[in-house]
Amino acid sequence: MAYLTQPDYVKYICSCGQLKPITSLYFCRHCLKIRCGFCICHEVDSHYCANCLENMPSSEARLKKNRCSSCFDCPSCFHTLSTRATMAQPRQVLQDPAAAGDAKVESKQPKKMYYLSCFNCRWTSRDVGIPDQPVASGGWPERTNPHAARVNQLLDYYKAIALQEKQEKIERERKKFNIRGKYITLTDKTGLTGAMARNIAGLPSSESSSSAIASFVPSQASAEVEELPDDIFTKEVNLNQITSMPQRLASPEWQPVSVARLHPLAKLLSVKRSQRCRACDHNLTKPEYNPGSIKFKIELLAYYHVPEIKIISHEPVKPGATSALLLKLSNPTGHEMTLRLLRPEDVPPHDDRDEPKSIEKSLERSLNLDKDTTSFKPIERVPVYSATSHVTPPDVTLTLAQRDDAAEYDDDAQHDTNDIIMWRKSNKLALRLEVVTDETAEGGSPAVAKLALQYSYRNTVPPAAAASQPRDHTLYTTVILDLGTVSSN
Amino acid sequence: MALYEGIALIQEKQAVVLDLGTDYTKFGFTGEAAPRCIVRSEFWCPASRRYRRVHDYASADELYDNLVHMLHLLYFRHVLVNPKERKVLVVESLLTPTLFRETLAKVLFTHYEVSGVIWADSGRLCALTLGTPVALVVSIGAKEAEVCAVVHSCVVLHALQSQPLGARAVHAELARLLDEHAGAPLNLPDHVIEDIKVKTCFVSPRSRALQWASDTPPAPARSVRVGRVEVPGAARELCAEPLFARDAELASLPDAVLACVAACPRDVRRALAANVLLAGGGAALRGLRARLAAELRHLVTQPPYDSSLHINEFKFHNAPAHENTCAWVGGAVLGAGEAGAARALPREHYAREPRLRDWVCLLDNTPPQHPHRDHWDM
Repeated sequence: MAYLTQPDYVKYICSCGQLKPITSLYFCRHCLKIRCGFCICHEVDSHYCANCLENMPSSEARLKKNRCSSCFDCPSCFHTLSTRATMAQPRQVLQDPAAAGDAKVESKQPKKMYYLSCFNCRWTSRDVGIPDQPVASGGWPERTNPHAARVNQLLDYYKAIALQEKQEKIERERKKFNIRGKYITLTDKTGLTGAMARNIAGLPSSESSSSAIASFVPSQASAEVEELPDDIFTKEVNLNQITSMPQRLASPEWQPVSVARLHPLAKLLSVKRSQRCRACDHNLTKPEYNPGSIKFKIELLAYYHVPEIKIISHEPVKPGATSALLLKLSNPTGHEMTLRLLRPEDVPPHDDRDEPKSIEKSLERSLNLDKDTTSFKPIERVPVYSATSHVTPPDVTLTLAQRDDAAEYDDDAQHDTNDIIMWRKSNKLALRLEVVTDETAEGGSPAVAKLALQYSYRNTVPPAAAASQPRDHTLYTTVILDLGTVSSN
Repeated sequence: MALYEGIALIQEKQAVVLDLGTDYTKFGFTGEAAPRCIVRSEFWCPASRRYRRVHDYASADELYDNLVHMLHLLYFRHVLVNPKERKVLVVESLLTPTLFRETLAKVLFTHYEVSGVIWADSGRLCALTLGTPVALVVSIGAKEAEVCAVVHSCVVLHALQSQPLGARAVHAELARLLDEHAGAPLNLPDHVIEDIKVKTCFVSPRSRALQWASDTPPAPARSVRVGRVEVPGAARELCAEPLFARDAELASLPDAVLACVAACPRDVRRALAANVLLAGGGAALRGLRARLAAELRHLVTQPPYDSSLHINEFKFHNAPAHENTCAWVGGAVLGAGEAGAARALPREHYAREPRLRDWVCLLDNTPPQHPHRDHWDM
């Protein structure tokens, strides 16, 4: 059971040991295991601008530093800026009316000019002296980082040093090798290598690298340090003129201190992510390319594959007492499902039983051996929870019909009710269960019950070439039910 | 640009530089002059319905979860690249706890499957932005101020100084002064204190600080009203005084600088004093550099330094970066070259032996000829 604003009352234990509601779990159809956001591999699928819903190829996004070229954020309040149009009379040159006769007639037409404005805080691009633009989108002046030139110099310098280091190493190794070698060249005999010859002659050893090293000027320290302005003690502080920390950090290149130096921030792109199972490398979700669409091409969510449990109601939990618990189970799959409730202790440990699989699989594994993937298994944790109560599982096998969207319209519930099954309706089933709470449970502590579920699952993945795999599987899952707090008698 | 694209396809992916500070995280690509994002080192935790700070952890598992969430945020919300098969340069302090380093390595290699990690200490990276052979890096972070002498790309380890005189010390003093002025505990949250500090506070010059300490305090600077809080002029001027407060332990910031210089070899002391670099977000406070310079020039003539240090001038550098991104820019420069890439700890290596080299570990710092080497089968 998952709510948008309420805590998660029913949590499933993911195969990696995390406790998550069913809505944030995935189900890998190839491993037949529940996965969660923690134990799958996230990948960037496509870049898009969340404001104009424009797709951007990843190479272009990289060039534009992941920023949209037409949308801007307010540097003051981070709201999206809107483009506003004004009619501007072009400035007239009046000195020489006779000469500018024709031109004046044309330029008399008022021209549309655009500026950026924030509807939230009323900041406009005119506030900071950015000239209005004649085109609606793009063309806004770009600023360069004041430190960029120096950083590029540093980059060149260190690259040149690395290159020189490498060359010297090669030189040394060649010398070593040549001494042992059979053939003695003239340069070796005279102890003269090309680099040395150039060195003796006073020539730069190799043109580009050493010139970069020679022309590099290290930073110059100065004894004078910038003192505080004299009027700092007497001047009134105008807080409206000073930027806040978030405003500064929004543009890491400039970090403006004064409001007058704020510039529109090009909107940061968003990404669509696809998710992949770490164990088998199959996609769990893959979004559609179109930024406007919220659908998925592949969507293996646990919500569509794992029986869902909801708490209808329960009696207050008392230490050492038995209380009734009403649960609703539903089968989201398109196949009939048989269910059994178990104690969590009775779940067979899923110690990756290595059934003899197809030859291809074992071959694949032997190929992967040298990659040594054992140490890169995602972290699996023992789930942390303290269950003070446990559900007494009834010894019955329940059958849940497949999900049928049309069944919603006929309302005759099947009446095979008994003392466990309260009612049954298409793919849903309500159960009356008993919860036994430990004597030791303290009043006021959270009441947590655990329950294991055995269910049959029909795998609809088109089988591989060797179609001998069983299509029906028996799977297990454990859920943690939140039953409020233990009431003190 | 088409050519560039073609090369980029063949070449290795551009590495990322990660500087996970206590308060702010700097993250971006190598070879660029500024980080792509500077964000608070915290993430939204839906279970507890509040922001959680990465550096607040009780156990290794908790830290692992924190780092996974933080890096997810950085990779997929801010920088928008796949972490997989991409190198990472981690900017760290030499005094980073081992648990933090090891957990970060585990997260990067096993969770995000990066292809290699370059571990670089912030002192040397700051010095790298200058290009000078000798530099004395005074880096004032959120929690601690570290003074680190870098001589020909080597940190003089025994001279390393660290004092809890970071931005937190300034915040605590500012909060105390504001409470004192208001006459009641205001319990201002940290971001409000930071906002007041950034907008109104400065470090008054040495002469004025002496006047404040004397019996005749000067007329304080104008007081400001920030929101509901009245910030008196004295608080604006004196909030950074804890950095310069001396006691018998000689634990102030200028003392730490001079202690670092004094612990260095005799022949580099003058060169170090002539190449001071102030780095770290805490150093961005207005007037701090001038005050530190004045304090250093004064203190070096006082005992105990006048007998051991014969330094006549202190010179300061301007790094090609803002104070808070100084170490990050050094990382971006280092990671861009081949030299940096060659120093990476590759993933396969980590798989074989999941440990990191560390300067305090005897496995790494025992010299090769040392007799203990034989016993350890290294």
